[in-house]
Amino acid sequence: MSSERDSETTFEEDSQPNDEVVPYSDDETEDELEDQGAAVEPEQNRVNREAEENRETFRKENGRCCPQQYTNFMLDGLLFSFFLKDCTWQVKANDRSFHEQPQFMNTKFFCIKESKYASNAIKTYKYNAFTFLPMNLFEQFKRAANFYFLVLLILQAIPQITTLAWYTTLVPLLLVLGITAIKDLVDDVARHKMDNEINNRTCEVIKDGRFKIAKWKEIQVGDVIRLKKNDFIPADTLLLSSSEPNSLCYVETAELDGETNLKFKMALEITHQCLQRENSLAAFDGLKSFMCEYLCESYFSEGFVECEEPNNRLDKFTGTLFWRNTSFPLDADKILLRGCVIRNTDFCHGLVIFAGADTKIMKNSGKTRFKRTKIDYLMNYMVYTIFVVLILLSAGLAIGHAYWEAQVGNYSWYLYDGEDFTPSYRGFLNFWGYIIVLNTMVPISLYVSVEVIRLGQSYFINWDLQMYYPEKDTPAKARTTTLNEQLGQIHYIFSDKTGTLTQNIMTFKKCCINGQIYGDHRDASQNNHSKTEQVDFSWNTFADGKLAFYDHYLIEQIQSGKESEVRQFFFLLAVCHTVMVDRIDGQLNYQAASPDEGALVSAARNFGFAFLARTQNTITISELGTERTYSVLAILDFNSDRKRMSIIVRTPEGNIRLYCKGADTVIYERLHQMNPTKQETQDALDIFASETLRTLCLCYKEIEEKEFEEWNKKFMAASIASTNRDEALDKVYEEIEKDLILLGATAIEDKLQDGVPETISKLAKADIKIWVLTGDKKETAENIGFACELLTEDMTICYGEDINALLHTRMENQRNRGGVYAKFVPPVHEPFFPPGESRALIITGSWLNEILLEKKTKRSKILKLKFPRTEEERRMRTQSKRRLEARKEQRQKNFVDLACECSAVICCRVTPKQKAMVVDLVKRYKKAITLAIGDGANDVNMIKTAHIGVGISGQEGMQAVMSSDYSFAQFRYLQRLLLVHGRWSYIRMCKFLRYFFYKNFAFTLVHFWYSFFNGYSAQTAYEDWFITLYNVLYSSLPVLLMGLLDQDVSDKLSLRFPGLYIVGQRDLLFNYKRFFVSLVHGILTSMVLFFIPLGAYLQTVGQDGEAPSDYQSFAVTIASALIITVNFQIGLDTSYWTFVNAFSIFGSIALYFGIMFDFHSAGIHVLFPSAFQFTGTASNALRQPYIWLTIILTVAVCLLPVVAIRFLSMTIWPSESDKDERYWI
Amino acid sequence: MKKTSQICQSKLPDNTALKQQQLPAYRLQLSATGVLSGFFATGAFCLGVGIILILSAKSIKEIEIKYTKICANCAELREDAINFDKECTCSIPFYLSETMQGNVYLYYKLYGFYQNLYRYILSRSNSQLVGTDLKDVGNCAPFSKSHNGTPIAPCGAIANSIFNDTIILSYNLNSSIHMEVPMLRSGITWWTDKYVKFQNPSAINLSSAFTGTAKPPYWSKPVYELDLEDTENNGFLNDDFIVWMRTAAFPTFKKLYRRLNRVQYFIEGLPAGNYSFNITYNFPVTRFKGEKSVVLSTLTWSGGSSLFLGLAYTVTGAVTWLAAFSMMAIHLMLKEKRTLFIERDSKLSFLC
Repeated sequence: MSSERDSETTFEEDSQPNDEVVPYSDDETEDELEDQGAAVEPEQNRVNREAEENRETFRKENGRCCPQQYTNFMLDGLLFSFFLKDCTWQVKANDRSFHEQPQFMNTKFFCIKESKYASNAIKTYKYNAFTFLPMNLFEQFKRAANFYFLVLLILQAIPQITTLAWYTTLVPLLLVLGITAIKDLVDDVARHKMDNEINNRTCEVIKDGRFKIAKWKEIQVGDVIRLKKNDFIPADTLLLSSSEPNSLCYVETAELDGETNLKFKMALEITHQCLQRENSLAAFDGLKSFMCEYLCESYFSEGFVECEEPNNRLDKFTGTLFWRNTSFPLDADKILLRGCVIRNTDFCHGLVIFAGADTKIMKNSGKTRFKRTKIDYLMNYMVYTIFVVLILLSAGLAIGHAYWEAQVGNYSWYLYDGEDFTPSYRGFLNFWGYIIVLNTMVPISLYVSVEVIRLGQSYFINWDLQMYYPEKDTPAKARTTTLNEQLGQIHYIFSDKTGTLTQNIMTFKKCCINGQIYGDHRDASQNNHSKTEQVDFSWNTFADGKLAFYDHYLIEQIQSGKESEVRQFFFLLAVCHTVMVDRIDGQLNYQAASPDEGALVSAARNFGFAFLARTQNTITISELGTERTYSVLAILDFNSDRKRMSIIVRTPEGNIRLYCKGADTVIYERLHQMNPTKQETQDALDIFASETLRTLCLCYKEIEEKEFEEWNKKFMAASIASTNRDEALDKVYEEIEKDLILLGATAIEDKLQDGVPETISKLAKADIKIWVLTGDKKETAENIGFACELLTEDMTICYGEDINALLHTRMENQRNRGGVYAKFVPPVHEPFFPPGESRALIITGSWLNEILLEKKTKRSKILKLKFPRTEEERRMRTQSKRRLEARKEQRQKNFVDLACECSAVICCRVTPKQKAMVVDLVKRYKKAITLAIGDGANDVNMIKTAHIGVGISGQEGMQAVMSSDYSFAQFRYLQRLLLVHGRWSYIRMCKFLRYFFYKNFAFTLVHFWYSFFNGYSAQTAYEDWFITLYNVLYSSLPVLLMGLLDQDVSDKLSLRFPGLYIVGQRDLLFNYKRFFVSLVHGILTSMVLFFIPLGAYLQTVGQDGEAPSDYQSFAVTIASALIITVNFQIGLDTSYWTFVNAFSIFGSIALYFGIMFDFHSAGIHVLFPSAFQFTGTASNALRQPYIWLTIILTVAVCLLPVVAIRFLSMTIWPSESDKDERYWI
Repeated sequence: MKKTSQICQSKLPDNTALKQQQLPAYRLQLSATGVLSGFFATGAFCLGVGIILILSAKSIKEIEIKYTKICANCAELREDAINFDKECTCSIPFYLSETMQGNVYLYYKLYGFYQNLYRYILSRSNSQLVGTDLKDVGNCAPFSKSHNGTPIAPCGAIANSIFNDTIILSYNLNSSIHMEVPMLRSGITWWTDKYVKFQNPSAINLSSAFTGTAKPPYWSKPVYELDLEDTENNGFLNDDFIVWMRTAAFPTFKKLYRRLNRVQYFIEGLPAGNYSFNITYNFPVTRFKGEKSVVLSTLTWSGGSSLFLGLAYTVTGAVTWLAAFSMMAIHLMLKEKRTLFIERDSKLSFLC
């Protein structure tokens, strides 16, 4: 069987890939994905493997404690194998001491041992009252910028080199640290509160044989608990029994996955029956069975659970319950997960299996991948650049100082300072002094400000009314607050289809029964009409009246019962599903896990086959009015691997039947050879696909009693296997799901969402390429492509085989041209297609694998590769492997180049992993910013891989949203997110950064120019207080507000002219060139700021003869000119002047003067004579008209050229936004 | 009941101008008329101010005499610290061809003296100078304490290196009558300096106030005997001392020394004629290649301004106008082209 599966998924080199087949499926967990990422870095991989091996040995050691003998034992005459390795988590009911045995202890510190079973008290907070300060500071100083300033602070504390007062760095640093610390503190206090609240929730636990109220934090593994209706489940619990019949227990999992529909859990029948009452529950452990001597003593007799170690898979659980000398299989259906809520169930009992930090919800939390934006990287590089400049400047000035000391300083008697330093040593000290003085070149508040701006942008996204979806009360949400400006730089969008482009609201449209298509507009006598009335379902008491159906002939067929397949068809729909039903006011209400299933079951209901009730072993259906109950023998679950589900029922007459529905590809493989309608149904499927309908095939099979008996044994055995249970089950399922008889196919319509074509064309105009990645069939995908105007009639569509040929020739050419010199020849980019024609590419998953040489290697091969016998062999292998890698890389690059030449790309029949792979390819070879948008769990990989992941909060639960960076309810909001918010954020961030670097250079370099006139002695050109407050008070608010509020053009124009988006894609507004322009601007400004006052001061005295050419007046003059200049400059940079901006700009200037006059006042000097030395300078200096004239001239000379250059560049090379702005307002 | 709670829980964002980013705003546009008129106006303003400044600077009468070379023998004598108690005077005659009208100020000017050097500028104690704590000599090392451990008042390098030449201007009415020009030695400081920053410690008399302190090593007399003629002008409140303590921004600086007392002959200012400076040369500058000069100057509304600012304004004004004209030319040239653009653009966008 397994070899069959392998041959399905492994292609031979030259075989043609099958377009119809989804290559292989894999629902990978995050861990596996990470492993894959690690494969790129061999070092990391090695470490991982070592860790893995260590774990392995550890497990073995752990296992030793429990006697190996009982690995084989008999149950109902069947042999089970237990691999202790996998099931090391042992839980014994009502026996706390069991879990404290030494073998369950892990060494934590040297000798302190701790149980591996976590207690149920959770701790999500990071700090407590004592650790907050040290730990928070430590965390903060891990950031390079903060650490840099800490180092500066330490330098400043050294008396020989200190050049600035201690507070100049300390105050801004404290402010920055303080803001972050307060933010962290608020977060942590909230976490404390939450933890307390949760830990102190109460619940009933058996203690000393009775149920007693206990707090959640007191619950331990192995406790038996009672839960009531609407209780939160305190820990991952094995459901033992419930008040409902058939041991059902309904839970709401909203907190786990966001899905609000009820799910049911079912206890084992035996526990349900035996463990209803308190005393029996309390005795759950007490019964020492006569079998207890057998092997592992008491283990089997008592309630004893053995299962896998805690992990983060919400939908998986493998375990075995040993009780009453029998073992029972446990799976995820019997586990109540922490975080869920009990609904519609009066009470239920459970056994705690994982507590606290071991629970699945806790294991799932806090695993976020840190994404950073392009601008982040750029910004860091720029900060490094500045840092290098700082060191160079300081070194230069230090040399200058050494020289000056040798030439002048040594002879100046008045400079005698009692120290006997050589000039070069003085120069060395001054190097550090200048590092301190010029430190403001690296802007201390940069990172904090950037974060504030991003946070603001995120709020604007959250607040946007035009991205609010009233029908579901869903506003847009920026779940990550650090990526906003990247939204303005998107090149590629990778979109899922179902639920993203479409509404994911399924309606039953058509069906094909026995080769005959139903669902067109027809009357009862098979005559087609273009306008027919809706089918009247009033004959059916269970009809919900929501289905619009126009084929009267089908009704006629059902009612007449001429064709048995028709009834069989709808019966199958009514019976083969996992939908839950409850009755509200006598009305049936279905709770379906997937919308497809819901649509099908309600369709069956409308056509007279209403699903009425379900118990653990039965299912009740009203068949055209007659109620019949079928006993369910087995449910063969759906998963993305199997792509089908089956149910085996026994009819009241005693026949056993298997009903199966699933994807056409998997069903067709398992059909009986004698199926007369195979071809007709295939044609019908193609027709449905071309109408963009979603299809499922239905089939059934009669099973002999004996055959079933035999199979059932295997099934039971597999279902309690503790290793690889899923694989074992799959295998068993496979055995029965064969030789099926085809009944027909269903076609469900999933409408396009509103505004999808408009959005796609808008985004296309913004030069964003859209790739649709879908699991659908090629035809469906193609039709959706046309429907949403991604494909147009004038496009040439290429398919897998076309591009495969193209790629082959290209590879050949490259190989021929290559040879030894290949590496030295710069790669010439030659297009694959002749220019001028628009092309689209439609490629299936199989072709994708074929083209990219991505083949699933058999596990055995990998194993072999792992242990090569000789050195020679190993070398050969690595060589060939490397060659293969190189070839693969070349091919991948070629493919990406080719695909990017197409204006639209649709990948169909792709698996979640392939989706992620495609995103990764483009990310890697195009160096472009990618965005992935999707709504389902199958998009999670892709969403996490792309630079930006967007989740649509739709019908398919919240998994995609949970792992996304942005989420909203409708695809059409994407255009607003990108074209408006993204663009604005990008422009704001760029302007902000440019200005920030400019303002700090203009500010700091004045010191540099001044050093030529003060013997390079690291004397500052400003008052210390001014240096302290410049970045935090005098110049921060206007630029912050600009970063938050600026709009170069309005949102309407941004949407109207998508071409405006291109600035971000091409990095036009912030790149190294722009950065250097800002720096040069800053340098020139600092020169003007210094040299004009210098000229004015060299030869002057005050109005009343007193000297204004003193140092302090000079400092005040430059500082005033600087403040006015930078604030006016931001005024010029701001293109959207709100009153807030105006207020902040003039406010900053006013604040500067206010604070300066305060600090220069007499009172403060008398109080702190040494801290405030500039007494009277402001009033005396700014009394002089001469100084004002100097300031005015300085400001004018700084700003006039800027205005002139802006005006000229706008006149000569108007930018897109300038044009649009001017002509359309 | 249920309905209202649902409304409360709605996640509908607020429709406020701020949250929807619809704040009323003025879109900053560099329109041609605005920019050009702004440039013309600024240019005119700059030119006007420049011319006024130049004219007023021209009206100032100023005489500067460098006396390091003239008094070369004294300079040489001062190069060696051993000669500190040897007096050396030097007389510099000069002729004033025009009357200096109005207030006349006497400055001393130093070249190459780095009063702005970091460690020099720091070497003072403001809390001592404000008179509260004479013993606070925090930053003053090595001029904080005398050999016997008493704190120096005023401490620090700045105070220690005070300019201690005496400059006396005498008017030679004719060859026989030499009269000393009356000069005021007070009122040459900022009010805030004299009345806030510098305060003598409170005591019955100054000498007792300064008991327990030593004079700076380079000083010849203690701080309370700086001005023997005017007891009010003594201690930390000595005007010359205060002026010196206000450190200069650049290595070349001038400081106000005296102002003309407009009495008798000098009621109109300094009349033309023969004068001479009699300088007691104490302050050594040659070792560090510095120079000293003495400056006589009148003032205008803009102070004793140099030509720099006036010229800078004039040049700026001129360049602004030039820029304005060229921008206007470019603007007009491109205007024609742009109308074509508009038509094409609008056509295109309508097609789209």
